[in-house]
Amino acid sequence: MQAKHAGAATRETVTIERPAPRIERLRIRNLTKRFGDLAALRNFDLDVQGGEFISLLGPSGCGKTTALNCLAGLLEPDDGEIELDGASVARTPPERRRFGMVFQNYALFPHLTVGRNVAFGLEMQRAPRAQIGERVDRVLGLVRLLDQRDKYPAQLSGGQQQRIAIARAIVTEPRLMLMDEPLSNLDAKLRIEMRTEIRRIHRALGLTTIYVTHDQEEALSLSDRVVLMQQGLIRQVGTPREVYIEPASAYAASFLGARNLLPVRVVAATGDGQEIQIETESGVPLAGAARSAFALGDSAIAAIRPEHVVLLAEGRGGDNTIPGRVETVEFVGNSIEVSVRSKLTGEVIARTEDLWREGETVALCLPRERLLVFPADDSGEMI
Amino acid sequence: MRRDRIGLLLLCPALLLVLALFVYPLFYGLRLSLQPRAGGLFTNYTDFFGDARERETIVNTLRLALPATLINLALAIPLAYRMRRRIWGQRLITGMFVLPMTLGTVLLAQGMLSFFGPRGWFNKTLLLLGISEEPIRLVHNATGVVISLSIAEFPVVFLLLLGFVSGIDPTLERAAQMLGAGAWQRFYRIILPLMIPGIATAFALSFVATFAVLPSAVMLGQPAGETRVIALAAWQAAYERFDYSAGAAIAIIMAGIQLLVLGLVLGGRSRLYRGPATGGKG
Repeated sequence: MQAKHAGAATRETVTIERPAPRIERLRIRNLTKRFGDLAALRNFDLDVQGGEFISLLGPSGCGKTTALNCLAGLLEPDDGEIELDGASVARTPPERRRFGMVFQNYALFPHLTVGRNVAFGLEMQRAPRAQIGERVDRVLGLVRLLDQRDKYPAQLSGGQQQRIAIARAIVTEPRLMLMDEPLSNLDAKLRIEMRTEIRRIHRALGLTTIYVTHDQEEALSLSDRVVLMQQGLIRQVGTPREVYIEPASAYAASFLGARNLLPVRVVAATGDGQEIQIETESGVPLAGAARSAFALGDSAIAAIRPEHVVLLAEGRGGDNTIPGRVETVEFVGNSIEVSVRSKLTGEVIARTEDLWREGETVALCLPRERLLVFPADDSGEMI
Repeated sequence: MRRDRIGLLLLCPALLLVLALFVYPLFYGLRLSLQPRAGGLFTNYTDFFGDARERETIVNTLRLALPATLINLALAIPLAYRMRRRIWGQRLITGMFVLPMTLGTVLLAQGMLSFFGPRGWFNKTLLLLGISEEPIRLVHNATGVVISLSIAEFPVVFLLLLGFVSGIDPTLERAAQMLGAGAWQRFYRIILPLMIPGIATAFALSFVATFAVLPSAVMLGQPAGETRVIALAAWQAAYERFDYSAGAAIAIIMAGIQLLVLGLVLGGRSRLYRGPATGGKG
C-alpha cells in the first residue's frame, strides 16, 4: 500500500515540462566590435532556439563579454544584425529590448530593499501595484528568499545577493536572459549550489539564456550548447558532449581539459578520423587519432586528457608506451595527479587512482584512440 | 592595546588644532559676549534681537546664502553626473570650473564690477542685441552678491559631488537600464538617491561658507541696505563702535545659526540611506 503510494508520488514529480519559451528564435549575424585597433569580436554568427541555454566559453579577452554586451545593447556593435523572431533589435536601446541581465558583481541597488530591487523592473513597466507585490513574492519564492524581502542587499551573503539579482532579472519575464559570469565572485561550494539553482530556474521558466563564463565545468554542466571563443572568434559550437569528446581544434581540446599537448610531425599522409602515425620532436614514434586530414611532414599537435593517460609498472610495454619517471604527485581529492618526465617534450600529466611515489620509474602509455592529433596552425594562439 | 595608543597619538595634532583654533576662540568669544559694557549677562543678545536693523541681518544673510547654495547645487548635480565618465576635454573643463577657487573674493568682485556694471560688457551686449532697453542692475544689490557667491563656491560643491558620483558603481546604471529605466529614471531613481549624502555635505559646506560672507557683500552689494549681512554687523560692532563684547555676541549668534543648519542637514542625512554605493562585491 505504502509502496504504491510512493510510486504514484514519484511519477507525478518527474513529469516536469519546460514551459513554452517566450521567443521562437534569436538570430545573430556578423556581429563585430572593435576597440581602437583591437577586434574584440569578429563576425559572430549564432542561431539560438527559444528556450535554449547557450554558454559563451573562453578565456578573458576572447570576446565573450563583448558579445553579451552587444546583445544587451550596452555596447554598440560596429557591424552585424540581431534578430528576435525576425524583428531586428540591433538599434533598440537596452531599456526597450526587454532582456534580463545578471551581472558579475550582482549590481543590486544598494539603497533599495530586496523587494524594491526585484520590483524595479515591474515599476518601470508600470505594472499595477497589486500585481507587482504578487509577482515579486512569487519570484522571491522561486529563489527561496521570500523571508529576506525587507532587508537591504548589504545585509545578504554573496550567494543570496546573486539569487536576488537573478530574481530581479526574471520577474519581468524577459524575452532573453543574459548572464555575465554570475558565479565567478562566489566560493567553490556556493558556485556549485548556484549552478544547480540556475539550472532549476531555467528548467522552471524556460527562459532563452546566453551565459558567459570562463569555467568549462560551468559551461558543460549548464548548457544545451557551448560556444567556444578565442580572440574574438567562435572556434566551435556544439553540445557539451560534442565539444568535450570531439574538440574541433587543439585550442578547443586544451581549453576543455586536454592539458597534455605535444608538438609532433606527421609521418604518413592520413585522412580525417583515421589512425595516424606521428613522431615527436625528440624522435619518439606514436600513433594517434587524426582529427583532420594530414599530409606527410605536416606539423601537428597531439592532445590527450590527464584522465586518459595510463601509468603502468616499469617495464610493461605496448603501443604508444615509453619509459618515464614520476616527478611530482599531487593528491587532489577524488584522484591523484602525477606528472611524468620522459623523452616527450615537457611533463605529461596523468590522473590516476593509484599511488605512485615521486622518483619512481613508470611506463607511460598514451592510448592511441585517446591521443587526438590536430593541425598545428593554431598552436600559436594557444592559451 | 598598543595600537590604540598609537591611534590616539596620531589623533593629537588634529585635536590640538581644533582645540586651539576652534574650541578656544569659541569659548573665549562666548565669555566675551557675556561681559557687556553695561547691563546684565545677556544684554548684547537682547540688544541684537531687540533692534530690528540688527535682527534683519540674519534674514539678509539667509537671502544670500540659501539662493547661492541652491543655485550651486542645481548646477553642480547635473554637471557632476554628466562628467562622471571620462569625456573629451574633461581636464580642461574641470580646470575651468575650479579656476574661480584660485582667485580671491576681491579679485572676483573687481572683475564682476566691470563686467556686470551698467557700462560693462554684459549690459552693453544686452543693449546692442536689443534684449533690454536699459542696463540691468546686477551689481550693488543682492543679485550681484548671489552671483559672486555662486561663482566662488561652485568649485567646492562641484568637486565634492564629482567625487561622490564617480564612486557610484557604473553597473548599477546598466542594471537599471536593462530593467527598462530610461535616462531620467536612471538618474532620478538610482543616481540621485545614492548622491544624497554627497548633496547634504555639499549643501552644508557651501551654506556655512556663504553665510559668513563679508567682502563681496560690501563690494558688490548694498552694505547699508539689503546686503547688510550678519558678518558686517559683527564687524561694525567690533571695529566701528569698538564694542568687542557686542561683536563677539553677534559672532556667536552667527555660529549658532550655522551649527543649527548643519545639524538639520546632517541629521536629516543620517535618516536617509547611507550605505555603500556599489551593488555587491567588486
